[in-house]
Order: sequence, then structure tokens, then C-alpha cells
Amino acid sequence: MNLFLYLEGRTWLHRLDPRTKLMGTLILFVLCLCFNHPLYLLLIALAIGALALSAKAFLNFWRLRWLLLLLMAFSTLLWPFFVRGSTAILAWGPLHLSQESIAYGVAMGLRLASFVSIGLVLLSTTRNEELTHGLIRMGLPHPVAFAFATALRLIPTFAGAGATIVQAQMARGLDLEEGNLLRRIGKFIPQAVPLFLYAIRHTNFLAMALESRGFSPGAARTFYHELRMRWIDYGTIVFLLVLLGGALYLRLGQGWGVILPGRL
Amino acid sequence: MEPIISFDRLSFTYRGGERPALRQICGQIDRGAVVAVMGHAGAGKSTLCYTLNGLVPRFFRGAYEGSVLVKGEEVARRKVAEMARHVGLVLQDFEAQLFSTNVELEMAFGPENLCLARPEIDRRIRQYLSWVGLEKLRHREPASLSGGQKQRLAIGAILAMEPEVVVMDEPTTDLDPKGRQEILEIAKRLGQSGKTLLIVDTEPETAEQADELWLIKEGRILSKGKPRQLLTDVTLLKACGVSIPPLVELFSLMGWPGNPLSPEEALSWIDKHGLIPRPFPKRPREKPRPPGPPILEVEGLRYVYPFHQTEALRGVHLSIHEGECVALLGQNGSGKTTLAKHFNGLLKPTSGSVLLRGKPTSDYGHREMARHVGFVFQNPDHQIFANTVYDEVAFGLRMLGEDTKTTARYVEEALATVGLAGYEGSSPFALSKGERQRVAVASVLAARPEILVLDEPTTGLDQAQQRSMMAMLKALHRQGHTIIVITHSMRMAEELADRTVVLKDGTVLLDGQTRAVFAEEERLAEASLRPSSIVRLSNRLGTEALTVEQMVEELKA
Repeated sequence: MNLFLYLEGRTWLHRLDPRTKLMGTLILFVLCLCFNHPLYLLLIALAIGALALSAKAFLNFWRLRWLLLLLMAFSTLLWPFFVRGSTAILAWGPLHLSQESIAYGVAMGLRLASFVSIGLVLLSTTRNEELTHGLIRMGLPHPVAFAFATALRLIPTFAGAGATIVQAQMARGLDLEEGNLLRRIGKFIPQAVPLFLYAIRHTNFLAMALESRGFSPGAARTFYHELRMRWIDYGTIVFLLVLLGGALYLRLGQGWGVILPGRL
Repeated sequence: MEPIISFDRLSFTYRGGERPALRQICGQIDRGAVVAVMGHAGAGKSTLCYTLNGLVPRFFRGAYEGSVLVKGEEVARRKVAEMARHVGLVLQDFEAQLFSTNVELEMAFGPENLCLARPEIDRRIRQYLSWVGLEKLRHREPASLSGGQKQRLAIGAILAMEPEVVVMDEPTTDLDPKGRQEILEIAKRLGQSGKTLLIVDTEPETAEQADELWLIKEGRILSKGKPRQLLTDVTLLKACGVSIPPLVELFSLMGWPGNPLSPEEALSWIDKHGLIPRPFPKRPREKPRPPGPPILEVEGLRYVYPFHQTEALRGVHLSIHEGECVALLGQNGSGKTTLAKHFNGLLKPTSGSVLLRGKPTSDYGHREMARHVGFVFQNPDHQIFANTVYDEVAFGLRMLGEDTKTTARYVEEALATVGLAGYEGSSPFALSKGERQRVAVASVLAARPEILVLDEPTTGLDQAQQRSMMAMLKALHRQGHTIIVITHSMRMAEELADRTVVLKDGTVLLDGQTRAVFAEEERLAEASLRPSSIVRLSNRLGTEALTVEQMVEELKA
């Protein structure tokens, strides 16, 4: 089963230096935090959508469509009850709904979806090895960078094993959709124990395989793919920084893009 | 010639292990020699491999005595990563040792660790990819390769580090016959290229090509010698729990001169000595038992995996009858497991239908289904979780809501059937792989399903364990269970199944009585399959036999 997010391709995003993409991801994250007005966040979300389109990463968005929709729906439905706006629609005891709080909920939904989408574009266009190398070149210690990249690499493997384990137990009569909460929690054990043991065994084996191929965490090594910042990398970073500067000025200097003042 | 490897009274006991994994191993391997190692499961073959690059004792701790010298240096004193320059170890599980996102980076990983410059890494990738015949797949993702290709990549990735010694731990298990052939070809060329090669395997075919064969039993070297000599010594092989080459067994049982390993050799012995009349008088083929009523009917089944939109099954028609024993054969990726997962509704058809007793599988609940179709997954470790064998086997029954008394009775019966009576209180995790596989079978059997589907039940089992697994399945079949076995072991299909279905690229390539299917060697080759040597001989002689015993019976009749 293929659960990897990286999509083979030669788009301009694929060819950007991983350091550029890591920095860009960070800048875009901050950009999402600049505004809390749904229209502004919609604009950002659309821009990220365009980015995903240019990276030919739509397959991954399709795969994770439920996660994205769920995040948006939950946020949109729940936030309005926890913040207060001035134009009340409904006030009933502690329950309070207002135009602003609903708009804020929509904005937060868009923000969460944007966060996930930015990460998705990064992982769709950047190989695990590039990410590791990029992190190391940005000053992260070797072992930390490798641990991070390996964890990222193992998630799909474990997810695949998890799916098999659930199937194996279902074939023995495990019915996940039945029973009260307590019974359902009890049913977690037949899935968790094999998965846990699998994870330990697999990780141990991987360590063996890595060492057998001459890898030792702290040691110096070379990289087959050389990283090279080109003019387009610098251009991208400068462009994003200008964008961020502009956004900060609008929010902090002009107070634009705010539906509920005083909130992030 | 000077030895490149020498073992001197090497013993090793894993920390927490009850008995030594290796005992007093002595021996030398000359530079450029090819040594094959065979032995039963748990004989210490893998441990022996690990001592050569220092995984034992640097990674696996324990009591280590004696020494291993590689190029005159003691391995135990060096780090594993340092030893990797000299000794390349291809581990047993080829799936898990590939971790890069494409073939070229997988190849580059070792050389990167050796701090080689980019042009040199590039040269090695090119050179060794063509060595293992994967140059066209340079940009593919390892997960998308076939089993044989993955194994070749794992070997290539080791070769790219240019070690003088290459060690391979069971490189051909889990591969279909064609993949196995490819690996043996690579091993042969490695030997010719002057590398020192130590290769562990369970199949006599691998050992034939070696300069020397070591037989291990319970951590001790039982015998060392020329492969031809040892492989034809039936008593010795039996003592080691190693599979006997079927043609050697045949000739010994018939009391014929000669120890042939291939069907061609066997034919030349037979003709030279006029051992049997040729052509051998034809015996009428046994009429197949009239099939029972259909129990599973698959009509125009197509299945597309939702994530990556690949079509795993493209129009499968098949009907399985009550009381049949069917082998499902095909290459990795031919759709065997995908098809089987439709039998108990784990997967739902994209189009077409799968009927169980005339009713679509999707109409059955999971629990109801467990009573009709039992599915034993390939890896028992994907389902074992309980503290005791009893609880493990009782799990399904408890899920089905059986009362304590019935549960106890069914568990007892299931354990007796798989030959694990008396193990109720043991921890399943402490059992051997073969025993854990039996626990998995028992846990499915306990619900008393009419149909039993097993996915590669003999993977990772040695000769003796495979035999007993097959004997158990035969017994279940006699008891009236309908049995469907997914396998890549030709001998399993030949010995067990009365019907064989061969899948290729998601469609049925061949379907019929096992004897008839195995006579079609050319069609089988299309699916990368090749009958075992005994069946190939049988095909050339025009006999009906599929196993050594049947052959002896038929020839003596």
C-alpha cells in the first residue's frame, strides 16, 4: 500500500532548494496567523490552493479531503461558541452567538486547513532525504535531523501495518462498530499490542540495517543530491518576506483583516 | 590461499537467551570463495551472519567467546559502521531494509556514509544498478518494485559500498521462482567476480553453486564439504532438518544409481542405465472428485485501490466449490491477496460481485463472516496480542459471544488440530515462528469456519515446520473444510492442492486440476512460475506424479 506523500515531479516547487521550502513554510505559517478575518484567510487559502495546483499535488489533497473538511467543519461549528462578538444573533444563558464569532469560526477553519495544506505542499514536493539534508544545512544537529526525517518516514509504514492488523483482527470477528464506549476501548488492545510490538521490531531492524550500511548518527557523511540555492530560491524568500512584512504592516499598523480585535 | 575470514571457537548466547545460538564455530573462508550455509530454523544461521559485521556482539549483546577475524582484524573490536566497508550484509527482510524514497538514493546511502564525493557515488550507482539489472528503474520508488527487484536493490545497495566480503541472509525466501532465479544469477556472478560470498539459504538449489557448504545444527557446524557431496547425503541432510533435493530423494528411494539435482541430469541417468522404459506407459489420470455445490462465486470482479488508483483485479471469474483445496499462485503483485480479501468481505468489489452461498459478501456482518470464512494473515505477529495461547485462540469466540463452556471446548479442539494441545498457558510471544503461525491458524479455526483462507502460511518456516503445516492443512481438508491457500511455494501447491488457480496481472491465467496446470510449464513461465524439479521430471517422463512419494508409487506399480 502506498501511503507516502511525496509525488514524483519536476515542477518549480520540486526544484526549489529544501531550505527555501522549509523557510517558506515557516513564513506562510506566520502569514496565516496575521489575520483573523475570513475573507483575508480565504485569500491566503486560495493562494495556497494555487500553489498546490502548480506543484501538481492535488492527488494528496484528494487523499486527505476528509481530514481537511473535518478540520474546517469542526472549527467553524465550535469556535463561535467560545468567542464573543458585538452583533449578537442568539443569546441564551451562557450560550452566545454573534455574526463576528461565526465569521471568526470560519476564519479559524480556513486557517487550520491552510496550515495542513502548506505542510502537504511541502511534503508532496520534497523528498525525505532532501528534508533531512536541508535541516542539517540549516544548522540542526545530525542526529536530530535524522530522527525527525525517520519519524516522518515511518508514519506511513506504521499506518500500513496498522491497517493490516485491523483487518487481521476483523477477520477473527472483531467488530469495531458495535458496543458501548467501554467495550470499544477494550477492543483497542487487540490492535494496539501487535502494532506496538511491530513498531519496536521494525525500528530495531531499521537500526540494524542502517548500521550495516555504514551509518552512524553523528559521523560526517556526504550527500548525493547537492543543495544549491539559485536565484529563484532567493527570489522566493525575498518575495515571501516582503509579503509577510506587508501583512504585518496591514494588521499591526492599519488594523486591517481583523474581525475580532485582540485575538490572534 | 590466505583466508579472509576465520572463526576460532566462536560461541555466542544472546542476552536473556536460554541456550547458545552458536557453539564452538571454527572455520576459514578463503578470499574469493563462495560458501553456502544451511540449517533448520533457529540453527544460528542469521547469528553467524551477524558476527561477520559486528552486529553480534555490538548491536545484539550477550555472552561472546572466541573470535572472528576478517582480514586479520578482530570484528568484535570494531564498530558495525566501520566493518560495513569490508563486510556487506544483506539482511533477511528485504522490505524493511529499503528506506529511501527512490532507487538511486537507496543505492547512494552506503557510499554517502563512506563520505565519497558525488562523482564517485554517481559512478557506483550506475555500475552496480546495471550489475543487478535495475538501471531502468533508477527513479522508481522502492515500494513500487516487485519482490525480486526489491531484493536485487538491497543487494545492489550493499555492493555500492564495494565490500570485499558479501553476506546474504536467506536472499531467496519470499520470492517467486523467477525472482529466485535472478538472485541466484547475481550470486553466481558475484562469486565469479572474485568477491568472497557467504550465503545462507534453505533451498538446496542455492547451495549447488557454492564452493563449499556448511551444515549447521543447533548452533554447531555439523559438516563442511563440497555441496555435491553433502547435498546427496540424505541421512546427513535429514539430521540437519534441511530439505533434501527431491530428485536425490527419488533416486535414493528407487535405489537408482546417481544423484541428479536437475531434471536433465535425472533423464540422462535414467536413459544411460535404462532405469525405466521410455516413454513410460501412461496411466489414466485420476478423475477429479465431482465438485460439491459452489460456495464462493466471483463474477467479473474488478478492484481499484482507492489511494493510488491502481487496478489490482481486472475482471476475475472464479467459483470455489465445497470441499475443494485450492492453491492460488502468482507473482508478487499479481492480485492474490487482494482477491482473497474479497472472499471474506475485507475488501468490497469496485465492480462485479463476490457471492458467498449465493449472497453478496457485503451482506454479512464481520462476526457472521468469521463463522463462514476464516482468514489467516501472512504474518502471525500482525494479530497475536494475548498473554496466553488460550486467550489468543479464544478471542474470536468471545467476540462472537460464545459462552465459556463452548469456548473452552472449541479452543481445545482447535489447539489439538494444530498440534498445540498443552500449550494453553504458554505465552504466544515465546513460541517459535512456526508455532506462532499455528496459533494464528487455531485462532481462526476456533470459530469453525467452513472456508479457510491462508495467506502464505509457510513463509519463514523451515523444512520440518513446512511439512507439519501441510500435514495439518491436509487433515483439515479431510475433515471437510474448504481450503484456499495463497502461496509462492510450488511444492506446497503440488503436494496439497487438488486445484490450482494462477493469477497474472489481476486476471486468471490458468485454472484447473493441479496436475494439468503444472503440465503447462510455458504458460506458468508467463506468470514467472516454474514447477519444482520433481514435477518437471514428471512432465518429461509423462507420468502423473506431483510428489516424490507419488512418483515412487507410480514407477513401482
